[in-house]
Amino acid sequence: MIVVGTAKNTGKTTTFNALRAIARRRGVTVAVTSIGRDGEPSDALDSEPKPRVRLAPGTLVALPSGLLPRSPALAVLGAGEASALGTIVFARAALPTACEIAGPPSARAMRATIERLRAMHDGPLFVDGAIDRVAALAGGEDAVIVATGAASGATVARVASIAADTVARLSLPGRDAARERARVVHIEGALDVRDAEDLLANARGATVVVDDPTRITVRGALFAKLREAVDLRCERPLRIVACTTSPVGRDATLAPRELVEAVARATGVPAFDVVADLAA
Amino acid sequence: MKADAWTAERIGLTWLRAAVAPVGAFGRRHDETIASYGPGDETRARAEIADVVDLAARLDGDGVTRLRAALRAVPEPGAIVARARAGDPLNDVDFYELGRFVDALDVLARAWESARGEASRRPPVLEALRALLAPGRSGGEFYLADSFAAGLRESRAAVERTEERYEALREAVAARVRDALGIDVVGEELVVLRGDYDGPLPDELLVVRETPTYRAARLRVTVPGRDDALARLATEEDAARRALAERVSQQAEAIAAVTRALGALDRLLARVAFAQRWEGCVPSFARAIAVDDGVFPPLADALAARGRGYTALSMRLDGVAVLTGPNMGGKSAALAATGFWCACAALGVPPPARSATIPLLERIEWIGGEGPADRARLLSSYAVEVVRASGVLAGASPATLVLVDEFARTTGPREGRALLIALVEALRGCGALALVATHFDAVAEAAGVIHLRVAGLRAEALDTIRASDLDAALEAIGAAMDYRIVAADGAATASDAVALARLLGLDARIVDRATAISDSAQTRFRR
Repeated sequence: MIVVGTAKNTGKTTTFNALRAIARRRGVTVAVTSIGRDGEPSDALDSEPKPRVRLAPGTLVALPSGLLPRSPALAVLGAGEASALGTIVFARAALPTACEIAGPPSARAMRATIERLRAMHDGPLFVDGAIDRVAALAGGEDAVIVATGAASGATVARVASIAADTVARLSLPGRDAARERARVVHIEGALDVRDAEDLLANARGATVVVDDPTRITVRGALFAKLREAVDLRCERPLRIVACTTSPVGRDATLAPRELVEAVARATGVPAFDVVADLAA
Repeated sequence: MKADAWTAERIGLTWLRAAVAPVGAFGRRHDETIASYGPGDETRARAEIADVVDLAARLDGDGVTRLRAALRAVPEPGAIVARARAGDPLNDVDFYELGRFVDALDVLARAWESARGEASRRPPVLEALRALLAPGRSGGEFYLADSFAAGLRESRAAVERTEERYEALREAVAARVRDALGIDVVGEELVVLRGDYDGPLPDELLVVRETPTYRAARLRVTVPGRDDALARLATEEDAARRALAERVSQQAEAIAAVTRALGALDRLLARVAFAQRWEGCVPSFARAIAVDDGVFPPLADALAARGRGYTALSMRLDGVAVLTGPNMGGKSAALAATGFWCACAALGVPPPARSATIPLLERIEWIGGEGPADRARLLSSYAVEVVRASGVLAGASPATLVLVDEFARTTGPREGRALLIALVEALRGCGALALVATHFDAVAEAAGVIHLRVAGLRAEALDTIRASDLDAALEAIGAAMDYRIVAADGAATASDAVALARLLGLDARIVDRATAISDSAQTRFRR
């Protein structure tokens, strides 16, 4: 299960921690890792306080050796890819431990890390993810949760609109031979604004295929227009299962219930505020 | 032994270095400390090569492959040991890596025993490290186990107790919040919507933010002694690590000795694998070259990839010799092979031959053709050769092997031949070993050196070859060519250029016209 955010400070780590807390409450041991650097006491860019990642006993974690907590000690099970903060280490918590988590720098190394975690652990695997790299990590049955909140927009409507845009892009359907149009256009690499305009002008009604949903870099109205004009599909679809909302941003504080309801309505997937215990 | 990049490429030295490259970091480091053998190193070179040949005969190829795979997997403990020696703290990943080092050496020792068919003695430091880390090792993992220090068990038990109390208290507080506010708190933070409840919050909640629509709060869960227990455990764990690191540092010299031995083994096994693949011999050392049934592996490999066979060469060279023979007769390959065999000995590698007497050299030099560096200088082919020849002559000594491949072929034949004769005389004058391939007539006789020739095309085969395409033509020419190098005994050497051009598919009208011109010229010459 991969948590990604529509912007920085949208409650990704809070969601990640809530998932782990729920798993723990159910007596399920989990494995965790991160694509970015998470669990640090404050944001590296704006020094805002950030939630720590607290590992319950038995939790399997992949993190750089430079972030391995010195105490309480973890059992070191293996070592893998290199990262700027040291070799990625696979470790199991023996006692409750608070730590930062980070992952390797490349998608290839991240995939190798996740594959190894899957091989070591047959329970749930939670990844504190990044939206631009989620496609490289998620497999067919993996679930993606989109964290959104006041950090990505100053109004409920704006946050909901951005969330809807993100979910729509990430939910791009996979190829379906039965529904494929007569003309199929393959886009190698990113589908950008220029490609979108070209498709609108010359490929209306065609099936347009990108490698994965994150290859689409067009947003907002242009993206909506494109979806209407062509049958937009991807080779490797993602499974977006839910959104989470955080009403607190640096510049705005939104109404939690209004926000969670607006996001659910706009995205068409269940939305949760894991701190206010709200669902829509 | 030195050879510039162009020479290294031509004589297959670059190929050889890659072929005998160690597989592991230890071996690569070890190799960097060992200079190639030169004049005066004959005893050491012979001893190393004899060891290689002996081991190649006693180990089976699969065993060597397994040993090299095991060597490749041995992790490098050097940095960890250096930090321990310097008094820096080690962490649990370091101890895990040391455990992997011990395991990998065990795998290596077993592979060695399997390959040799006899038990091997493990270095005592392995047992020392194994015993040192044993309390924390289980199935390849490492954990700073309670038994590493007297106080660890008690400190961990204290942390467990306070953490359990913390969790129980947190759950109790969360339950009261759930009962009072209807909010299920999964972590430590919660948000209370004013629309749902705007009254006083329970004492166990610490409000961290208030807005017109909600209050954000944190569970106030305080367990006396919790921070102290964690701090005491951190102190105990660090002390245990320091004690372990101290004991690792006491083994530093022994670990370094093991890694040096691994480096030497890596180098040895790389050479053993080469010897098994190419059936090398232990050479005798002398100033002359006498090789029987020698192989030039880079060419043999390339031919094998095209499904063609390689003919082993025998070579005798004492001083300077001129080598003539037909096109495609293997003159350049003979030059390269001669350099390759000498390079093998210099690197402690068995020359791939039935028997070999070769010198240990200071330099090997190749004159002829132009490499990328030469082309970058924007010199003509002729200028490149002359500049290179000048440089080689300036540094040539009796410990130099000079390989000259068709020097001056790109200039007028009369002056070119004269220059080549003068070059050969100069090489003879400075006492270098030299093999000079050319199509010019009577160079050896004019310069007063030995004349060798490639035996050449079997005349009877020429008329029977009917090749359907280039590959078939090359195959047929290979079969018709007698690659042996023999004494020329003053005989002129045919280049067979016209006949070969026909076999290689040149238009028959051109070939016939060339034959007519050649016959006419020879008739005039005879008159």
